[in-house]
Amino acid sequence: MYLKPTSPNERRQYYREEWDVKNIPDYIRESLIQREFGFDHMGRGPNDRYRVFKNMDYLRKFMRYRAPFAAYSSVAFYHKPRRRDGWIKAELVFDVDAKDIPIRSCGCSNVCEVCLNQAKDIVHGLVDTIKGDLGLSNIHVVYSGRGYHIRVLDDLVMGADSDVRSQIVKYLVGSDVPRSEYSNQGMKYNLEHFTIPFAYPQVFTNRMKQAILAVNLETEIDGVNKNILKAVIKHRDLLKDHQWGIFRKNIGPIRYHKLVKGIASLNLTLVDAKVSIDLKRILRLPTSLHSGVSMISTEIKNLETFDPFQDAVPKFVYERD
Amino acid sequence: MVSISFLNPLSPEGKDIVRELGSFEGISQDIPQLRSTVTHNPSQEIADDSEIPSNFLELALKRIEWYVKKKNHREFNGRRYAYLSDDQITKYDVISFYLLCQAIGVKFGPNSRETRVMVESQGDLIRERLGKLHVDEARQLVEQSLHLYLDDDQVHWTFFEELLSSRKIRLTELILDQGELILDHQDFMERFGPKIKHRNPLSMYQLLIGDELKELIMIKLIMQETEDYIKQVHEKAKKMVEPNPILLELAEQVAEVLSRPMQSYGYGSMGGGGGPLKAGPLNHQAFPPCVKKALEGIKSGGRNDGIVLFITPFISYARLYPDVFRMNITKRVSDQDPNLEKTENEVLPLIYEAAQRCVPPLFDDQPQEKVNINAKLGFGMHSTLKMEHEGETTWYTPMSCEKIKLHLPPLCKPDDLCKKIGNPLSYYNRRIWEVNNLKTEGSKTQEEGDAEKHSKTEVSGVQKETDLTKSNTSDPNSGGL
Ligand code: SF4
Ligand SMILES: [Zn+2]
Repeated sequence: MYLKPTSPNERRQYYREEWDVKNIPDYIRESLIQREFGFDHMGRGPNDRYRVFKNMDYLRKFMRYRAPFAAYSSVAFYHKPRRRDGWIKAELVFDVDAKDIPIRSCGCSNVCEVCLNQAKDIVHGLVDTIKGDLGLSNIHVVYSGRGYHIRVLDDLVMGADSDVRSQIVKYLVGSDVPRSEYSNQGMKYNLEHFTIPFAYPQVFTNRMKQAILAVNLETEIDGVNKNILKAVIKHRDLLKDHQWGIFRKNIGPIRYHKLVKGIASLNLTLVDAKVSIDLKRILRLPTSLHSGVSMISTEIKNLETFDPFQDAVPKFVYERD
Repeated sequence: MVSISFLNPLSPEGKDIVRELGSFEGISQDIPQLRSTVTHNPSQEIADDSEIPSNFLELALKRIEWYVKKKNHREFNGRRYAYLSDDQITKYDVISFYLLCQAIGVKFGPNSRETRVMVESQGDLIRERLGKLHVDEARQLVEQSLHLYLDDDQVHWTFFEELLSSRKIRLTELILDQGELILDHQDFMERFGPKIKHRNPLSMYQLLIGDELKELIMIKLIMQETEDYIKQVHEKAKKMVEPNPILLELAEQVAEVLSRPMQSYGYGSMGGGGGPLKAGPLNHQAFPPCVKKALEGIKSGGRNDGIVLFITPFISYARLYPDVFRMNITKRVSDQDPNLEKTENEVLPLIYEAAQRCVPPLFDDQPQEKVNINAKLGFGMHSTLKMEHEGETTWYTPMSCEKIKLHLPPLCKPDDLCKKIGNPLSYYNRRIWEVNNLKTEGSKTQEEGDAEKHSKTEVSGVQKETDLTKSNTSDPNSGGL
């Protein structure tokens, strides 16, 4: 019943009976005329681009009559959205696709409840860091159909260029191993990331923990062989009590270093970096249908209680036989 | 008391010094006081009178020369430039700084190699100077200097947007809390103190932030401001009718200092059967078997790796920086080819040709590989080679034989010389050296066919060698002025 593609009839039914233009989030409604829209009518990618809507009613009519396979709007705000010209600013976005999580505990071939949950945990961590470390606000989380979009509309970062955005991505996902050697007045000291309970080292420790708890014997990590994986799996419960020092000792410092390095580079794919650094991206429109899996792209009020299989399934799915 | 302008010429104190000087008039006149400061510096070593700067312009060039030599010369002797860290030169140094920025801004603009060297040398100079000061004095200066930028107690990290964008600092290096950069000790204790267990929060502060992070941020801020200043000068100069000839001349001299061949800075022959090598036109006959084979075209399968990872680094280094492994100094393409002429006209065409000779032609189905080639040359993921993108990626060094045997086994068809080397580039260097030596000794042992087909390249190879000998015998310190 779930996760199957949507038929053209089901699409029409959805946009006629269930979809309501009023449910489109305010942050898009308020900037409607500055955004570019794109549509995929045939399921072959968003070829119908450069669309602009003067008001919500035009958008409503378009969606109802065309019942597109997929609908998108730009993260960018333009003076001339019809020509994708006169760039003003762009939302800072992070795309966590359950299918692309580098270390998945489920091993399914598409998406399933397990990896969707894992994606949710990752989103949790990212949002915490966006708020707590980067001090940004106006953050929205949207269920995308196969994962989550984090959309930041804080003016402090909406003008940032791709290079700054890529630095933000690296900070959030933990793709740089924090240095462990420090010196003070000629003396050298060793401080492992897990002994520093704040700022980037803490972010890194959290991402590391998330990844280590998800690995299995099949997981492929650069520089990490089966033996190391076995030891990791054997000792990883220590991390639940924050016993990192003992964990590292049990694994062996050299092998631990390999592990950390390997995971750090995998972390780069925790979010789709291409999406985050693209200042002109189009992103699935919240409320629209993901026809590949028959799920509604849904703005999330409370991430804690959100369950895609409860809150993002269109009615027609239940009517299927 | 050391003036803040000794570290930051763009500070109000620094600007005052410029204002006091007024105009360019008399800018090239000798300043006996400067000379005497230099000669009276107790750590100063002087071997030749030409090492003593006697006016603003000479001092400006010495600043650049110091940086270039320090970067390129393994046995660099800092005591020859000890005066650069003597705060008694401050008021001359500030003027020299402005002269350099203006000359470079007017003539070369913000995206030039000259600008990069100026900005980096300023950063290195500050570090050098701080190192020579007493700890307390350095600390005080850093505080003061930072205060100029961060006048608020609370600084949001987005304040550093420009530094982050130009990668002068990494976001992950900063200690952040609620968006604010934590530098202050008290602030640190309030926010993180309660979280720190089993360790002394004060010593943690000293390690994670202490003087080091503050210095880093201050230095990078000054570097950014220097870059911005050069940009401003450049913008203004565009509207100017005629730039000051003194500045133009200084700019020429800066370029000259940067282009002096590495060897003149005291690399002797390095042994190992090689002798110093200077970049010169490519000699196809000296390519190792694997390169020759790859240039004939690669069959499907190894195409991407063969062209992007193997041929691109090999050809670019062979043409521009053949002794990378011997020098062991990381460089950018533009260090060797400032206006990218050789890269555009000699390196890329050869790579593209090889790509098109693949079966099927590489760019027919994968035009995006052009971007990857640019990335391996160090110009980021872009479709064109642009100076402003240089450094976004690193210039990939050539693959070793071992790697080639592993990843592109069909290409490796070793001959006798292959047994003695570990990298195709070393093969190339050996062959070139052999060819040059045989030729310069006047023997005509070159195989007939080779000599005929490639006589052009061989001849220029010989000329290069002669140039080299010349520059080796000239006094490295007498150039410039
Ligand atoms: S041994 Fe090295 S240089 Fe010789 S053909 Fe093989 S890869 Fe090329
Ligand atoms: Zn799954």
